[in-house]
Parts: sequence; structure tokens; C-alpha cells
Amino acid sequence: MMWIEILSRHRDITSRVRMPGPEVRVGRGYDNDIIIDDPYVAAQHLRIFRDEAGQLVAEDLGTANGTFLDGGKSRLARIVLDGKQPIRIGHTYLRVREPHHEVERERVAGTALRMLPIVVAAALGTLAVAVELLRVWLAQTAEPKLSNYLAPALYLATGILCWVGIWALLARIFSGRSHFLRMLLIALAGTLAFSLYDELAQFAAFAWTWPIARNYQYAVAWLILAAVCILHLREISPSRLLLKGALVTACVAAVIAVQALQQSEALFDTGRETTARRLMPPAFRLAPVRDEGTFFADIVKLRAKLDGDRSQAGADEEK
Amino acid sequence: MNSAKLACVLGLSIVAAMLAVDGRAVRAASEPAAAARSAAESVYAAAPPRLLQIRTLVADAGRQTSIGSGFLVSADGFAITNYHVVSQVALEPKTFKLEYVAADGSRGDATLLNVDLANDLAVVRLDKRDAPFFTFDEAALSGNLIKGEQLYSLGNPLDLGFTVNQGTYNGLVGRSYNERIHFTGAMNAGMSGGPAVTAEGRVVGVNVAKQAGGELLNFLVPARFAAALLKRAREQEPVADFRGEIARQLVAWQSGLYKSFGDDGFRSTVLGPYRAPETAAPWFNCWAQTNAGAIPRPRARVKSTNCRSETGLFVASDLNTGVIQLSHSYISTAELNQFQFASFLTQLSQPRTMGGGATRKWFTPERCHEDFVSAAATPQHPPLRVIWCARAHRKFDGLYDVALVAVTEDNGSEALVSRLSLQAVGYDVAVALSKRFLEAVQAGK
Repeated sequence: MMWIEILSRHRDITSRVRMPGPEVRVGRGYDNDIIIDDPYVAAQHLRIFRDEAGQLVAEDLGTANGTFLDGGKSRLARIVLDGKQPIRIGHTYLRVREPHHEVERERVAGTALRMLPIVVAAALGTLAVAVELLRVWLAQTAEPKLSNYLAPALYLATGILCWVGIWALLARIFSGRSHFLRMLLIALAGTLAFSLYDELAQFAAFAWTWPIARNYQYAVAWLILAAVCILHLREISPSRLLLKGALVTACVAAVIAVQALQQSEALFDTGRETTARRLMPPAFRLAPVRDEGTFFADIVKLRAKLDGDRSQAGADEEK
Repeated sequence: MNSAKLACVLGLSIVAAMLAVDGRAVRAASEPAAAARSAAESVYAAAPPRLLQIRTLVADAGRQTSIGSGFLVSADGFAITNYHVVSQVALEPKTFKLEYVAADGSRGDATLLNVDLANDLAVVRLDKRDAPFFTFDEAALSGNLIKGEQLYSLGNPLDLGFTVNQGTYNGLVGRSYNERIHFTGAMNAGMSGGPAVTAEGRVVGVNVAKQAGGELLNFLVPARFAAALLKRAREQEPVADFRGEIARQLVAWQSGLYKSFGDDGFRSTVLGPYRAPETAAPWFNCWAQTNAGAIPRPRARVKSTNCRSETGLFVASDLNTGVIQLSHSYISTAELNQFQFASFLTQLSQPRTMGGGATRKWFTPERCHEDFVSAAATPQHPPLRVIWCARAHRKFDGLYDVALVAVTEDNGSEALVSRLSLQAVGYDVAVALSKRFLEAVQAGK
């Protein structure tokens, strides 16, 4: 007696057959015990039986395309089946298991923890919207209007829900479960991380005079987006996470490079930096006040850079 | 019928031309009808052979890209016009060339000999010899012209044909760094470079600019600068490298400008609890502004003063430079919290190097430096957030455009935003002026 499982390309089980006999024949022909409608499978492809030691063995019946272990590249005439690694014939994956194949223990359904993700999602969602509203309020210099607050909150909520909806749909298609709540948590965490960084960068740019934090804000925004995407992909399926991560990272690296290029070319064209210098309340100043001499010494150093730009421009012109 | 009338006027013109040249004795002897003719008529009549239209042609296409006026000042073909009429030829001699068309219809090539950038003048030489020419007015050269005297400005406005505009001499323009005559009379594009003459037909000045937004408000370059340039052109070899010459003149001019600006110094003005530097130089135009009456009612009060020097210098059609600007805004609020007030200040304190011209062609990208600065560790000197931005003039070594912004950082609900913008300034001069400027930003109490 044995169980034969036919797997999808993602190695999910598509059908599972209980075979009571000691030997099973697999192939495309109608004289088999299991018929596989795969044009790359031979009419009589495989014989599965127990050898003298009692192990399950798959034996290739002299086919044109051969039999392989999943992931293996060399064709094998005879494979000892361990119940874990599938085998491949043609484009079809099979797994053979003993009736006494051991399965994992059942998971314990946690009654107390069930509400937790919902509570966390609600809290994070409220926090994200609240942070957005706070930002609007702190930048409010004209007459306050209700729409100034409602519109960004609504855009943010709609944006996050659409994003999460798309990922949930993808997850439903590829893994069968939508994981909506987890996707929502990931998106909210990403949004909050970005808001937090944005405020910190502006703060650092003012308090310590670190304009670099503000100038490269776009790069950090893309990196946060990449992390969020990788987490989403992991929720869909944790397999080959390294490959997916590498792909996402490569995409984001390309985007950052293009944006950096765009900015430097725009600076070259307009001669002006695009980032705004934000001021904060005087109490937020953390850097010491420089004396005039030190400041102007730095200004004098700037001259060399300007002259470098000029001679560079002169050289370009002469070409 | 019309043509017969025109021929009659032309005939009279020729007579009048002779009159103006030969002087009063001849005029007395002429017919009574001719004597009764207005001065404008005689000026117009005398002008044609010596009044020119100066055209800048694209060398390859042989068609004009810009036109201006000019006038002959010697029998051997020297003529005066504005620098801005011939600037394309000076800067791009391979692409452009000059042509003249005299009011009597004769035309030919013109060669640029020398320029006076500061006074917007140029001297060209025509392939025209022994033609009648204009002479400079002695009273004008010595500065003894009487205010209210009738002047006649000549030129070819908008390529419509030569015209004479009558107007009044109003003396020199106040608040101008470069000496200019204030002339009240109509002037239009295309008349640039034409002469302004007395009733006797002697040159007092050269048409140069009109006041945008003014009515009949025009400026003339005094004749003595034209006479000096003519003398220089006669004595020296023609300039071979105009770009180099223009750069040299620009550097010399701006060094005088900033020396004068620095020597005149700053005086203190009070804005709220702060004291801020204002320039003492007379050639600034200052205005005050407030948002007090604005609707919707502003949540922070802004009182500003803005002083701008009347020193814009034409270098090329896409580069005007040499303007100095100082401005101070005192902002206070009772309604905004500290963050909102900081946001308000953010909008008012973005550094900007003033326009000036086509950015990429003339300037390197801007480079900025910012920090918290205090001019001295005394209560009079509040901590300042200072942003300094500078760009180099690509084609003029040693010249930079600089913008300095200082925001006081001693109070969360009131602040002074001070700006200093310097165009075409030497780096060390800019640093020294900025230092003095920052030191003069003080808390007055």
C-alpha cells in the first residue's frame, strides 16, 4: 500500500491517490494504474515497487525523456523514494509516501491571540492617519480648513487599502489564502516607518545641520518600499525568498540610481537644488552655534568647488 | 497727389539739412516760410544721411535678428550705437555680423571697434566716407545743459522708419549708479543707440532705455561717455577679443560698484525688537511692504523692507547682472504655534540667487552651505540660521552670484529674515560684505 501525490509546478498537491497493490505503473497509456496527461511522459514511464529491503523504488522503463529527482539534472534509472523529495517525469512532479509517513503535530488554535492582529492593525492604522494629520496641522500657516485635514487622511487610507487589496489578491491567486490582515500590518508598518524617517530626517537636517539626511530621503523611501514588498512576497509564499528579495532589491537599486541621475541632471539644467530647507522651532536646535569665523572659513572652502565647476564647464564648452 | 506732397517735403528737407549744418547766418537769409518751421522739422531734415539703423544679421542667413539705431560722428565713418544693439556680434562674432542702413537709404557693412559695457555704448566703423555727421554738444559735454531744454530723440522705432520725438531734458537720473540723463519723451524699441540732440542738432546723449511701467520716462547715456569711447576707438587698435574685453570691463565695473557699496556702508534700521542693516548708498530703490490688510487674514504679521540697486547691467540678451538687493522681513505671530511659525518662516527663507539670465549658459549650478551662526557671543547677537548659496559665472572668472539668508533663532514666535543678494561679485568681497551684514543683524533690546 502507498500514496501517490501529483504536484503542481509550485509543488502543491493537485491530486492524491491511494494505491493498495504492491506495484504501481505510471505513464500516459491506458494500461497504467495512474495515467498522466503530459505529452513528455512515455506511454509506460515508471514502475514503483518495493525492493527486497522493503523500500519504495521508482524504476524508469527505458523512456526517451527519463526520470529525475526534483531539482536534479542527471537522469536516473532507479530512484529510492524517501517520501520527502518529489521526482519529475516529463513536466510532472510526483511524490510517493508510505501510509506511516509522519506528519507534523496539529497547531493549537490560540483563542486569546485571535483578536490581537486586528487590534494591532487598527492601532497602527489610527496612528498612521494621526501622524499624517499632525503633519498637516504643524504645517498649517493659513486659515485652517477642514478639507486640508480630511483629504490627506482619505487619500492615505484609500492608498493603503488599495495597496493591501492588490497584495491580498495576489496572495489569494498564488497561495490560496489572502492574508489580508497580515498584508495590512506590513503596509501600515511601512507607512509609519516612512513617516518616522521623514520627520527624523527633517529634524536632523535642522537640529544638527545634516542636510544629507534630507537630500537622500528618496533613497530611504524606496528602500522602505522594497522591504515592504519583500515582506508581502514572503506572506504569499516563503519559498525562494532570497531570489525574490534579490529581484526586488535590484529593481529598487535601479530606481534609486535613475532618480539620482535625474536629480543631478536637473541640478545641472536648472542650477538649483529641488529640496526645501525646513526650519523648526529654535528649541530644536541641537548643534552648537558656530562663531562667524568658522562659518565663513567653510564658505571660503566652497569657492574651490565653484571654481572646479567653472573649469569643468569651460572644458565641456571647448569640446 | 500724396506722392507730390511727399516729394515737396523731401525737397524742403534737403534745404533744411544745409541750414542746420551751415548755421544761423544761412538760416536768416532763407525764405520766411523755412524760418518759421519748427525745430523738430529742421532736426528731422538734417538727420537722414547721418542717422543709421544698425542691424545684426545672422552671417549665414543674411537676415536681421535684431535692429537698433546709431549715428555717424566723424567724416571717416565712425558711428556710435548701444552696446546692447551689437552685443550678439561682440559675443558671437562667428555667427553674427553688422550692417547699417542710413536714413537716406544707403547701406553697407559695419565693423565693431570697441565697447563701453558700463555705459552701454559701442563704436562701429562704416564703409562710408565723407558723409555728414553729428557733433557733440559742448554744453552737454561739460555738464552745463539747462534743465527743461527741448531735446529731440532720433531713431527707427520698431523698424517703422526714422522718427523724431520731441522731449525735455530733466537733468541726471537720481538713484542711478551709472550716470544717465532723464529724458521725457516717447521712445520705443529700435530707437536704442540713436542720438538725442538739441534744436541745433548737436548730440546730448544716446537713447538707451525706457522705464518699464513709466510713461514717457526714458534714459540717455550722457554724450561725454560717447565722446570718450570715440576717442579711445581712434587711439587704440580695434578690440580683437571682445569676450575678453567684456569680461575685463565687467570685472572693473563691478569692482567699482562693490567698493562704492562697501564704502557707503550700512546703517541700522529697527524692525520689531531687531536691528537690521540697510545700505547707505544713494542708488538704491527701497520699498516697504506688509501683509496687514490681506484677506484672508494672515495668521502671522510680516513687515518687510526691500532695497534694490538700480545697477542692472546689460551683458547679453539673456544676461543682466550687477544688481544688489537687501531685504528684511520681521515676522511675528500670536496665533501660530512654534511649529507652524517655523513652517511660515520656511516659506520666507528659501535661498534664491536672483534671476539674472539663462541659467545653464551663464552660471554653474548653485552650491549652498548652512549652519547656526552667531556673529558674537553677546545678547545683541542672536543665534542665526544662515544659508549661503553661490554660483559662479561660467564665462567671467572671479565673478559669482551670492544669496545669503539669515533667520534669527532666539524666539519661537517672532523672527527676522534678512537677505542679501549680490550679483557678479568677487568672492572675497562677497564674504566680507556678508560678514558685515550678519554682524549688523542684532536684537535691539
